[in-house]
Amino acid sequence: MRTTSNWRTATVAVLAVAIVNLGLASTAQAGIVGTSAIVSTARDSDLASIRTQLERADVRAQMEKMGVDGANVDLRLSTLSDGELHDLARQMQNAPAGGDVLVLIGAVFVVLIILEVVGVIDIFKRR
Amino acid sequence: MTLSRQAAGMLLAACVLLGGCVTRGPLLESASRVVELDDTPFFPQDAHQCGPSALATVLGASAVPVTPEELEPRVYLPGRRGSLQVEMQAAPRAYGRLGYRIEPELSAITAELDAHRPVLVLHNYGLPFWPRWHYAVVVGYDGPQDKVTLRSGRKRRQQLSAANFMRAWDNGGRWALVVLRPGELPAHPDKPRYLEAAAAFEGVAQPKDSWLTFDAAVRQWPDEPVAWTGRGTASYREGNRVAAAADYRAALNIDDTQAAARNNLAMTLLEMGCASQAKQQIAQIEVEKLDDRLRNEVADTLRQVNAGTDSSTCAAP
Repeated sequence: MRTTSNWRTATVAVLAVAIVNLGLASTAQAGIVGTSAIVSTARDSDLASIRTQLERADVRAQMEKMGVDGANVDLRLSTLSDGELHDLARQMQNAPAGGDVLVLIGAVFVVLIILEVVGVIDIFKRR
Repeated sequence: MTLSRQAAGMLLAACVLLGGCVTRGPLLESASRVVELDDTPFFPQDAHQCGPSALATVLGASAVPVTPEELEPRVYLPGRRGSLQVEMQAAPRAYGRLGYRIEPELSAITAELDAHRPVLVLHNYGLPFWPRWHYAVVVGYDGPQDKVTLRSGRKRRQQLSAANFMRAWDNGGRWALVVLRPGELPAHPDKPRYLEAAAAFEGVAQPKDSWLTFDAAVRQWPDEPVAWTGRGTASYREGNRVAAAADYRAALNIDDTQAAARNNLAMTLLEMGCASQAKQQIAQIEVEKLDDRLRNEVADTLRQVNAGTDSSTCAAP
């Protein structure tokens, strides 16, 4: 039946993605150790791979909560190294997020006007 | 009121509030030079999109034609109304480029500009208790005038005095990033940082691109086993087992305790039909000295090697 085969295709697709995601932690082919495991900053610990899995889930949840579309979360996670994943998991809420400029200038403008009026600064004078 | 005027006013206000400006000598070391990478693209920023705009600018300068709109789903975080440094550094990998964080010195920025690479920086225009983060791209400097030129916000060409630039950059933690083509080294390459960038790139890159990044490392640091191992793995992924085996052997010649190189060499030899040589290699690994992750890999390779037999296709030297 048509619907059944559609469901089957969808299920297979979802499972395929899930399996691929499981394998993301080890980037090279089976049997070959990825170079990331041996660079100087690699965190060699018995818990490393388990922690990476947990952090991946944690970052995924945080990103979705912060308004990132589910499919894009996968795109973003796929480019991160384990160390970067670790950093994100720890500080996604309060790491610097570069974005402001237009809004901020409005706010600072108000501060400047106050300072100007009070006479602390004198930068708006016409030349 | 133009943006730069506002930005300058803002810096001035910050300066006053922070307890007065200190007059200093010129900050730009290469005082006689004027450099401007005028062909660097420009993407005027909308709302909070300075991350995607700045990233599109440096990627464009590195011959990757991508728009801020395309980058937005990769680096913009709606809940934070901005982009995080970690993701800014990681995103270029998806476009065949390495994000590399340079030294936190003005001289490192000018060195990159001298090498025709614009530099993405994080500025903080706010106050210590009220940070305002902003990404911009340095595209030039003017030694005689002690000024720095940026693509920033809605300004295609913003000039800041080196002192004002440094103030905002200091407050932003002196974070600066360049985008490297595969095979391209930064102006002042730092070995651990470059290898880490190359290893992170390996997970995403085409084997050919990964080979180029490690090849550059091999040339720069011929005594570094990790560089040879990385290049070997890139060759392996390309299907070139002979070249892979040669690079893994080169790594082991430098340091015969490199378990990853030996494991990978054994695996490569096995696939070349040389099971007994593979066994010899695996036998030399001191398994008890490895961490769990590597030990599991080696155990796995050992199982496969033990199940293998020599074949007439064995062409290893």
